[in-house]
Amino acid sequence: MHLVSRGSSTRVPASPTLGRRGFVQLLGAAGAVSLAGCAGPGSDDPGRQSTAASLDADASGDVIFSHWRAEDQSVFDELLARFAETYPDVELTQDIAPSADYQASALQRLRNGDSGDAFSTFRGAQFNAFAEAGVYSDLGDLDLVGSYPDELATIGQSDGKQLAVPYQVVFLDPVVNLDLLEKAGVSEIPTDWDGYLAMLDALRGTGAVPFGWPGGDTGNLGQLVNTMVMNNAPAEDMFTQVGAGELKLTDDWFVTTLRQYAELAPYMQEGVRGTLHDSLLQQFAQGEVAIIASGSYAIAPSRAAGAEFPMDLAPPVTVAAGEARYVGVHNATFLLGVNAASENQEAAVAWVDFLSQPENAAVYANSTAQHVGVEGVTYENADLKRLERWLTADTLLAPRFQLLDLDVQAAVDQSTVAVVGGTSPEQAAEEAQAIVDQQIG
Amino acid sequence: MSSTRGPARRRWPGLRRDAPYLWFVLPAVVLYGYFFALPVLQAFQYALTDWDGVSPDYDMVGLDNLTRAVSDDSLFTNALTNNLTFLLTVVVVQTLVSLLLAVLLVRNSRSSTFLRALYFVPAILSSVSVAFIWSFIYEPGDGLLNQAWSAIGLDGMRSSYLGEPGMAIVYVGLVQAWAHIGQLMIIFIAGLQQIPGELYEAADLDGAGRWGRFRHVTWPLIAPATAIVVSYTTIQSFKAFDLILGMSGNPPSRSLDILSTRLYTTYSDSELGYAAAQSILFMVIIAAVTVLQRRALRLTRQEG
Amino acid sequence: MPGTPALARRAILGVYALIIVVPLLVVVLGAFKSRRQLVDSPLGVPTSPTADNLTRVLSTQSMGDAFLNSVIVTGVAVLVSLFLSSLAAFGLARIRGRWGWVVFAFLVAGLAVPAQTAIVPQYVLWRQLGLLNSLTGLVIAEVVVTLPVAVFILTGFMRTLPPELFEAASIDGASPWRTYRSVVLPLSRPSLAAAAIFLFVITWNDLLYPLLFVSTPDKRTLPLVLLGFKGEFLTDYPVLFTGVLIASAPLVVIYVFLQRYFVAGLTAGSSR
Repeated sequence: MHLVSRGSSTRVPASPTLGRRGFVQLLGAAGAVSLAGCAGPGSDDPGRQSTAASLDADASGDVIFSHWRAEDQSVFDELLARFAETYPDVELTQDIAPSADYQASALQRLRNGDSGDAFSTFRGAQFNAFAEAGVYSDLGDLDLVGSYPDELATIGQSDGKQLAVPYQVVFLDPVVNLDLLEKAGVSEIPTDWDGYLAMLDALRGTGAVPFGWPGGDTGNLGQLVNTMVMNNAPAEDMFTQVGAGELKLTDDWFVTTLRQYAELAPYMQEGVRGTLHDSLLQQFAQGEVAIIASGSYAIAPSRAAGAEFPMDLAPPVTVAAGEARYVGVHNATFLLGVNAASENQEAAVAWVDFLSQPENAAVYANSTAQHVGVEGVTYENADLKRLERWLTADTLLAPRFQLLDLDVQAAVDQSTVAVVGGTSPEQAAEEAQAIVDQQIG
Repeated sequence: MSSTRGPARRRWPGLRRDAPYLWFVLPAVVLYGYFFALPVLQAFQYALTDWDGVSPDYDMVGLDNLTRAVSDDSLFTNALTNNLTFLLTVVVVQTLVSLLLAVLLVRNSRSSTFLRALYFVPAILSSVSVAFIWSFIYEPGDGLLNQAWSAIGLDGMRSSYLGEPGMAIVYVGLVQAWAHIGQLMIIFIAGLQQIPGELYEAADLDGAGRWGRFRHVTWPLIAPATAIVVSYTTIQSFKAFDLILGMSGNPPSRSLDILSTRLYTTYSDSELGYAAAQSILFMVIIAAVTVLQRRALRLTRQEG
Repeated sequence: MPGTPALARRAILGVYALIIVVPLLVVVLGAFKSRRQLVDSPLGVPTSPTADNLTRVLSTQSMGDAFLNSVIVTGVAVLVSLFLSSLAAFGLARIRGRWGWVVFAFLVAGLAVPAQTAIVPQYVLWRQLGLLNSLTGLVIAEVVVTLPVAVFILTGFMRTLPPELFEAASIDGASPWRTYRSVVLPLSRPSLAAAAIFLFVITWNDLLYPLLFVSTPDKRTLPLVLLGFKGEFLTDYPVLFTGVLIASAPLVVIYVFLQRYFVAGLTAGSSR
C-alpha cells in the first residue's frame, strides 16, 4: 500500500510558520480593505404586505409550506392531496427543516421571502421574534380565525393583531400507564404533592421504574418544569418575569421546585441524566417505566412501539391538597402564519384556511394522534377521546416557552438536571440565576 | 544572463519573469479573497456592533462584546473549558492509539493491509452519521455499551455517559478519536516506513530491547509525523460542530457545549454582533493553542 | 517474533477491529430491524428483515433530491476547486519572487481560520448576491472552504517537480499554459487524485454551509436531510441508520475501489 507522498509529509514542518506569519500579515494588510469595501451589517427590506390577502377560491400558483415537523410529513401529504382537489391551480410543497435549526435560520429565510409562504412557528421566543421582525401578515379579518377558541387564539396575538393561529395542542404533562397504576392499587391520580409521591412509592411496588424522565435529551427534558412550577410560581408569567429580572431563580418558589425535583430523583430510571426520549418511550411502551415525563406527544409513538395499555396524563401537583390553581399544562406546539413577504398570499391563506376547517383538522388530529386548536373537531382516536376532557380542564399555558433566550432556557433546564444528579437545589438555583443575570445584564 | 543578476535583481527577482505565473494564481486569490477573506475581516467589524441580524440599524458597542465574552459570560468560559478538555482527550487518545496501531501494522503484509483499510473506514463517514451511531451506543437505558457491560457481568461499568457532567465531553472525545484514529495511523505508518532499517540493526547491536528501540530510534524519528498528527487533531477538535450538534442538539447540554456550538447558539439567539466577537476569540484561541503545541513539540524533539 | 508479544499484538489488533466493526455492524443490521428488535438484540442478524425503514426513508424524506444535490454540489465543487488550486499551485511553484510566498501564505492561512468565523458576514454576502438557497451558492461556499487544503497539497507536490522539467518545456517554446496543460497536469495525476478524494469527503459530508444557506427541500444535501431525521420529539434509530447507510454508501463504494487514493488523499490533506 502506498501510503503518502513523501513530498507532502516532509514538507509540513516548514509550512506552519508560513501560515502563521502569513496570516498575521494578511490581517494587517487587509484591514483597510475591509473598512473601505464592505457594506457592513444591516439588512435591506424586501417588499411585504402586512395584512393578509383575503380568501380567494381561485388561488393559484406555487406556494411553500415550511415547518419542522418531520414526523407529520405523511399526514400533511394526505392533506395536500385533499387541498389540491379544492384548489387545483395551487402547487403546494412542504418544506421541512431540521427542527434543531428551524429557530436559527427560519427567521432569516422567511424575511427574505426565500421560503415559506405559509409557515409554522414555535410559540414563545420564535413567535415573538418573528412578530417583531414583521414576518407575519395580520390574519385578523379572516374567517379562519373564528375556528379557534379565544383563549387559544391569544397565543398567536401580538400588539392586538392576530398574526398566527395555534394549530396543534399538546399537553406537556407526564403520561402514566393506567394498567400499572391499577396494579399499584392507585385508583385516582393524586392532586397533591404527598399523594403524588405516595403514588410513585406504590408504583415502585409493581417492579416498574415509577418516574421516567429523559434527562439527557435537551429537546425533551425541559417539559417537566412546566407542571413543576405551575402551582409553585407566584404568577402565571413567572418565566417572563425571570427573563426581565423581576423574579429570580434563587427565589423560594424555584428553589422549592428544585427541591421537589430532588424528591422525584429516587423514582427515576438508572442513568437518567443521559436518557434520550426515544429510549424512554420504548421502555414505557414495554411497561418497564410507569410514567414518562414528557408530554401527550409521547402517546402515539408508544402505541407504535407496541403499547396496548390505557394511558392518561399524570401532572405532578406540587402543593398541598386544595391549594392547586392548575391541574396541568397545555401548549400550542406550533402556530400557523402567512408570510408578509410572500408573493402568493392568496394561496398561502387558502392553505391555512383549509387546515382550519374542522373536518381537515380532524384528519390531522386523528392521524397524528394529537389534539388541535380548531374547535368542533370530532376525535376518533381512543387516546384523543380519553384526553379530550383536558381540553376544557383548568390547565395553564406551558410557561417554559416564556423563556425567550436559548441560554436562559437551557439554564433553567440544566438546573433541574443538576439537582437530579445530586447538586443542592440552592447551588443549582444560584448557578442558573448567574447565567440569567449574564444574559439579561 | 550573468549581467542581469545584479544585487537589486536578486532582491526582486524578475517581476517580468513571474508575471505570467501570477495570472495562474489570480482566480483562486480573487474567489478566495472575496468569498472568505473579506467576510473574515468583516467579522471584526461586526464584532464591534450589537447587530441582531434583523434590524436595519445597530449600535457600535466598541469592545464590549469582547470583554463580555472574556470576563462576563460563564457559558463562553464553560465552552472553552469543555473544548480544551475535549482537545486534550482527543489529542492524547488519538495520538497514542494511532501510534500503537501504526507500530503494530508497519510491516506490509496481507493482514496488515486489510486491517489498515478496516481501521480507516470511520474516517469516511460524515460526523452526523457518527453522532447518530454513538448516541445509540451511549444511551444509558438500552444502548449498546451498557447492554454489553451487563452481558459480560460488569454491571459496575454501566454509566449514563453523556449524562455524566464532568465526563460527557470526554466520551464525545472518544467518539472523535474513533472516527479519526485510522487516518492518523496511516500518517504514522508513512513516517515509520521512512526510518532506515539500519538504525534498528544498530540499536539491536547495542542490545536495546523492544522499548529501547522505540524510545531511541522510533520516537525521535517519528517526531515530524507526530507534529502533523497533533496539529491536525487540534484543528479537528475545534471543528467538532457537526458531531456535537448531532449528539446533543442546539443548544447542546452545558457539559457538551464547545466553542463552535456556543457560537452557533449565540447566532441562533440573533446576537450576531456578539457571535462575531466570539468567533474572533475562537480564532485567536486556536492560534494560541497551535503555537503552544508547536513550542512543546519542538522541546520534546530537542530532548530526543 | 516469540510467543507473547505476537499474541499481545494479535489481541490488540483484534480488539481494535471489534471497536471499529461492532458500531458499523449495528448500523448496517439495524437498518433492517424494527426499533424493538434493535433494542432486544442490537447485534443479532435481523430475524425478520424489514424493508420498512428503507421505504420510509426513500419515500418521505426527499432523499432522492438530496442525493442528487449532493452529487451535483460535490462533483462541481471538487472539479472547480481542483482546477483553481492546480492553476494556483503551478503558478506558486514557478513564481520566484517574494509575492509568491505572500500569495501562498494568504491562501493557506484559511487552514488556521475556522469556517465559523466567517459565517455571519458570509450569510449577508450570499444574501446580497442572491446566492442563498441555490446550488451555485453552495458550490461557491464549498470551493472556497476547500481551496486552502487543495492549494496546500498541490503546491507541496508541484514544488517537488524538478525545475529542469519546466525549463525544458519553456526552451521548447511552450507557453506557461501549455506547460501546465501538457506537462504538469499529467505528472500530477496521482496527487490530483489524492486531493480530489480529500475534497470529495469534506464536501460530501459538510453540514455547516447547507445548514446556513439552504432552506427549501429541493436544495438540501444529504447531511442536512440526515440531521432532519431527528424529529422534534421523536428519534427512530432504525430509520436514522438507514439514512446513514444511504448517505455513506457512495463514499464506501468509492473507498472500496479507490482505496489507495483515498488513504493518500486523506493523509495528504491532514498533513497540513
